[in-house]
Amino acid sequence: MRREVSVPIHLSSRSARTPGTGGIASATGAARAPVPPESNRVSNGLKELLWNLDGLERGSLLDLGPAWQTTLNFFIERGFRVSSEDILRAWKAFLMEEEARLRQDFAASESMDMTPTARATRFMQQNLQYPRSSFDAVLLWDLLDYLEQALVKQVVASLTELLRPGGVVFAMFHSKKPEGFARYRVMDSSTLQVVPTAVLCPAQRVYQNREIQDLFGRYRTVKSFVGRDQLRETLFVK
Amino acid sequence: MWKKDDVKSPGVAEPAATSASPTFTSTYSSESPKSSSFAVSPNAAACISQGIKIKGEVTGTEDLFVDGFVEGKLNLTANSCLTVGPNGNVKADLSAREIIVRGVVEGKVIARDKLQIWSTGQITGEVQTDRLAIEDGALLRGKVEAGKQITKQADVKVSAAAATGKSAPSAALNSGTAAD
Repeated sequence: MRREVSVPIHLSSRSARTPGTGGIASATGAARAPVPPESNRVSNGLKELLWNLDGLERGSLLDLGPAWQTTLNFFIERGFRVSSEDILRAWKAFLMEEEARLRQDFAASESMDMTPTARATRFMQQNLQYPRSSFDAVLLWDLLDYLEQALVKQVVASLTELLRPGGVVFAMFHSKKPEGFARYRVMDSSTLQVVPTAVLCPAQRVYQNREIQDLFGRYRTVKSFVGRDQLRETLFVK
Repeated sequence: MWKKDDVKSPGVAEPAATSASPTFTSTYSSESPKSSSFAVSPNAAACISQGIKIKGEVTGTEDLFVDGFVEGKLNLTANSCLTVGPNGNVKADLSAREIIVRGVVEGKVIARDKLQIWSTGQITGEVQTDRLAIEDGALLRGKVEAGKQITKQADVKVSAAAATGKSAPSAALNSGTAAD
């Protein structure tokens, strides 16, 4: 039986009219388009990440996805100090800010360097500002698929500086351009929940194995796990 | 069964739509907000309402609701609850036993007992708390330290406050961790 009793009646009745959507998942925002239900996926990459971090007494972790309660709790419970920075959301906000500034001050468009590299540099001056070698692990998720090429290079270079020697990056790459947009949260030590959400940034490109290896050329170990859902989980050890 | 729902639904205000989200798996979900009245502590005595701007240091021992703009420092000792409302914009270091964020906060946040960040809440800065609840959609940018170890540090600070004549919520500080 569906657990609709706990949902306000106007929301539950709406979900009943919307086939294919989970009643509870669709309960937020009456005007939104139907969002596919959340699903779980087994994550060998996460398992491997935890195996790599095993033995750290008080590690520090940088989560570049949204701040989910379950993910934070999962790592805090294991003694981690967690820093959270939703890079994709920050990137979107940055682009909107720049656009608004240019609209207000047309002269600025002539004085400001609008090349992708310059824009990425400006973004990086405001984000990922941590001391060198601050983290034992970074949850990068599938963010690189959604960022501009120029920014991707700068983000990876910055993460390399922020990681301690032996630190691990957990990243995901789509094997084909994703149709929807999803965020991920940790459910347990081998399961990720896929949370479909409204598109923050469109997917930019699909990375081939060679390109990924080039991007993370300064890392000594690379381990990949390919899932049935066209998602490659990859671990990079510095 | 249906009548029960019918009775409940009119009381569900705008914030309840977000609080009803099943993914708001707070460590104290039984206390998760059910109506807009929960946003302010039942004992709320002071309010910095929308349109009010304060620059400087705000201290006190009572509950406080901030829906305006505060820049500086906000420190509530004793068994107090600080709520930053949906229109609140706080550029200050915050310290209280319980902190509820529904607006924008920029600064260090120390909640000795628990911190709730609602879906409309945005925190940029370091967070220290014993128990943490984040609703889906909330924005948190900064370092998070949660659990009893943090509580012990806060305990020392509260003891210092107690030495100046304020009461310390010693019992409230042992009630669990963020990972419950």
